[in-house]
Amino acid sequence: MRRTVLAALPPAAAIFVFGVIYGSLARPELGVTATVLSSLLIFSGSVQFTLVALVTSGAGAGALVLNATTLNLRNLVLGAVMRTRVDRSSPARAGIGWFLTDEAAGLALASEEDSARVLVVAGGLFYVSWQIGTALGLLGASVEALQEAASAVFPVLFVGLSAAVCPSWSVGLRAAVAAVLVAGASWWWPGSQGFAAVIAAVLVSLPDDAR
Amino acid sequence: MSVWLIVGIAALTYGSRALALVFMREPREGPRKLLDRMPAPLFAGLAATSLFQDGTLVDERTLVATAGALVLTPTRSLLAVLLGGFAGYVLALLVL
Repeated sequence: MRRTVLAALPPAAAIFVFGVIYGSLARPELGVTATVLSSLLIFSGSVQFTLVALVTSGAGAGALVLNATTLNLRNLVLGAVMRTRVDRSSPARAGIGWFLTDEAAGLALASEEDSARVLVVAGGLFYVSWQIGTALGLLGASVEALQEAASAVFPVLFVGLSAAVCPSWSVGLRAAVAAVLVAGASWWWPGSQGFAAVIAAVLVSLPDDAR
Repeated sequence: MSVWLIVGIAALTYGSRALALVFMREPREGPRKLLDRMPAPLFAGLAATSLFQDGTLVDERTLVATAGALVLTPTRSLLAVLLGGFAGYVLALLVL
């Protein structure tokens, strides 16, 4: 439990900073009620920031739903990966699903502790950080000075998670190829950022290991 | 933005998180091996994604922090990689 909380603190701090940024950005576009509701119910930075950007550009409901669907594709993969590690009843798994974020899933996969517990503890910490951040952003808090440092947390964290869950050199090589593919796709077609990581992960994982 | 649209997108997001976790059966050996191979490439892809914003690379400090993290990936320790990233970021603050 203590190790999980310690490992979850850096991403929780970054999530808090982005929560503040989200609260301050969303308030003029969505209003206070919708901003609070979106953070309470959606609890996904990537989806929520995209929603604000689309609302700002005047996009309709169809575009919002389509983008949210695309961004959520990776949750299907993470859910399938976690399914083999979460040995609980269906209702319990349904509850645990609430906390299945990229960061919480990564920490659960990298930890030697019970995956379900890590998901709930880390995911719960991230949820609280996101809500407090959103509330402070709505109240006018500013974290511009911390934004750059918070931005650096995510690539570093994902590199660390990738390394920690890597079982062999073969999978490490696949991870490197996936990173190159995604970097190329993100540079060439920025619109692919929502799903490129999922497609690349599936593609590089398909070939079986040579015997 | 209507409350119902937010509720709908929230349902979509939660549904995507819970679908496989709740309804997928225990996979057989073949699919299980495939699933076991996927997390590392997925997180590597997410790391690559977070290095770009609208088709351009993020700031130099984040890139140096990521390089610092990459140097320590052979340790396969999350803590070591995070420390590598922190060291890279501090170095970038001092040098750049």
